[in-house]
Amino acid sequence: MEANKATFPPGIERDVELLLAGGVPVELVDHGGQCYVVVKALATPDPRWGASSHDLLIAVPLAFETAGLDAFYLREPHTFNGGAHPRVQGAIIQVQEVKWRLVSWHYAPNKQWLAGQDSLSSHIEHCRGFFLNRKAINGYQ
Amino acid sequence: MATNNLRFAEGDWTQLRRIAAPSFHPGAAEAGAIGLVGKFEYRGRREYLVSRMLWPQAGEVKEADNHALVFDASYIRRAHLEMRKHKLAGLAFFHSHPRADLRVGFSDYDDFEEPKLVENLREIESSTAVISVVLGKRSQCGRVWDLGRSHEALKTLIVVGEALREYPLDGSAAAASPRPSEVFSRGNVLTGAGALALLSRMTIAVIGASGTGSLVCELLARAGCRRILLVDFDISKTVNLNRVLHMKVADANAGTPKVEVLKREIEALGLGCEVVCIHGNVLDRDILKQLRDADVLFGCVDAALPRELLCRFAFQYLRPYIDVGSEIGGDEVAGIAAINARANYVAPGRRCLQCAGIVTSRALRHESLSAAERKRVVAQGYSEDLLLEAPAVMDLNMHAAGYGMMLLRHILQPVLSLPLPVTISENLLTYRTVAPDRARAENPKCPICKANANIGRGDCGFSLGFDAAAVKTITG
Repeated sequence: MEANKATFPPGIERDVELLLAGGVPVELVDHGGQCYVVVKALATPDPRWGASSHDLLIAVPLAFETAGLDAFYLREPHTFNGGAHPRVQGAIIQVQEVKWRLVSWHYAPNKQWLAGQDSLSSHIEHCRGFFLNRKAINGYQ
Repeated sequence: MATNNLRFAEGDWTQLRRIAAPSFHPGAAEAGAIGLVGKFEYRGRREYLVSRMLWPQAGEVKEADNHALVFDASYIRRAHLEMRKHKLAGLAFFHSHPRADLRVGFSDYDDFEEPKLVENLREIESSTAVISVVLGKRSQCGRVWDLGRSHEALKTLIVVGEALREYPLDGSAAAASPRPSEVFSRGNVLTGAGALALLSRMTIAVIGASGTGSLVCELLARAGCRRILLVDFDISKTVNLNRVLHMKVADANAGTPKVEVLKREIEALGLGCEVVCIHGNVLDRDILKQLRDADVLFGCVDAALPRELLCRFAFQYLRPYIDVGSEIGGDEVAGIAAINARANYVAPGRRCLQCAGIVTSRALRHESLSAAERKRVVAQGYSEDLLLEAPAVMDLNMHAAGYGMMLLRHILQPVLSLPLPVTISENLLTYRTVAPDRARAENPKCPICKANANIGRGDCGFSLGFDAAAVKTITG
C-alpha cells in the first residue's frame, strides 16, 4: 500500500487553474503519493471508439514542468472497433474507485517535451491525437 | 553576529560598472541605478542577492551632477512596487562618486539623506531592507539597513558568472593576496595567489561521495580548500570498492556512510581541510537548504533530478555549480560507441544542464514519478533505455574529476581558453575532447536559466527540493 500523500508540483496547479478557467474539466488527484490529473469527457471524434468522449488520467512527475508529461491512462471500460485497442495494453490501476489502463502514447523523438513551452494543455492535445487514428506514423493496423 | 555580503550576477555587475564608468571622467556627473534584492541568512552568513537590476528610464533620474545624484520618486516607487509584488527582501541603491578611485566612502549628503529614504520606504513596507553601495573607480563601499534602525556594514561583494570574484565593500580596492604556504606553492604557478587565497576562504559543497565525489574531495584538499560540505545518503558497499578513493573493505563490511569514510581520510591528510558530513539525500528540502553554507557547488551525482535541483539552486542563490559525470553511449546492437568523461559549469548568465543537453526532460520525468508509477511505465517497455547503468570505474571518474577541478581553478582565476565552453567532454574511446560553446538543447524559454523568475531571490523565492515523504515516494 502506498501511503504517502502527493505534493502537487506548483506548475501543474497553475496549469489546472488555467484550464478550469477556460472551462476544461480537469482535476488534480493524489494516489499513493503520486500526482495525477483527471481529464473528464475529452471529445474523441473517431467513430470507431465506443463512446464520443473519454476520461483520461495523466501522471504528473514531481519535477514537472522541467520533467515532462508523457502517455496517459484511459478510463475502463472502453472499446475500439468493438474490441481492444492494440496500444491500450498497459497496467491497470484503481484511482478514486475507477479503473484506468495505461496507454502507450509517447512523444516522437523529434518532438520531445519542451519545458516553458509545453504544458498540461498541450499534452491533452497530444493525447487527443491518439483518438484521431491517423496512422501516418507508427501505424498499428 | 552575521557577516553581511552582497552577491551579484556578473552580467548585472558589468552593466552597472559600464553605466558608472563615464562618471569617472573629469567633471562628469554621478550615475547609478536601483536593484531588487533577495536574501537568505544561514549559519552566520547573511547574504543579499541582487535578483534584478531596474535600470533608470527616461525621467527617472531627477538630478545628476558632480556632487549628487537624485532618483525621481517615480523610479523608487516603481522599484518598491516590484519588490513588494515579488515578495523580495529589499532594494539596493547604487551610485558613483566621480572623484573617488582606490578609496571611496559615503558623503555627508549620503549620511543625511539615506536614513530618510529608509524611513520613507519602511512606512510603506516595514520589512524593507535598504542597501546602499557607493562606487569609486576601482573601489566600492556598502552598508545595509535591515533588522534595526541603524545600518550595518557590508563586508564582501561576490560576483558570479564566467568567473567568481570577490571585492571588499569597505571602500578600499582589492588588496594583494598573501603568498600561499609551501604545500600549495606549486598550484600558485598555475592560478596565482589570489585564487589560492579565495579557495582557502571558501566552503565547497561536494554532492555525491562515491567514485567521482571521493576524487573531487581529494583534489580540493590538495588544492588548498579548507572546508568541504559533503552530501551523500549512501553507505559503503562491496561494489563501491573498485572506485571510491580511501574506502576500505572494513568500511564496506560495516556499512559506514560514504561521507564518514571521506571525512576520516581527508582530514587525516593533515592539510587543514575540514569535511562537514551531511548524510542525507540532496533531493530533500532540508538537506538542500544546507547548501546555502557553500560558496561553490560541485555535483558528483549520477542522476538527472539532483542535477536539475542543483541547477535551480545555483540560479536562485547565485552560486557557481560545477557538474561532473561519466557517461556511456551505445546499445546492445551497436555496442559501446562512446565513453565520456564530462564537466559543465553552470552559473548566472550560463546554460543549465537541460539546455546543455546533459539532463533530459524524459530522464527527469522517469526519476520523479513515484516508484510504483515508474514500475508501471517500465513494464510497458518504453523506458527500457533509461535503465542503462552508468559506467563505474575509477579511471573514467578521474578524467571527469580532473576536468571539474580545472574548471574550479579557472573560475577563481581565469586560466583556460575563453570563452568557457558549455561542456567539456572527452570521449576516451576515440581519444577526442570536444568543448562546444553552443548549448545542444537550447530552450529560449528555459524555466531554469532563461525565464526563471527566481534567479537571485534566495529564500524569497520558490522553496526548492521536496519534503521527506515525497523523496521516499520517488526513491521507493
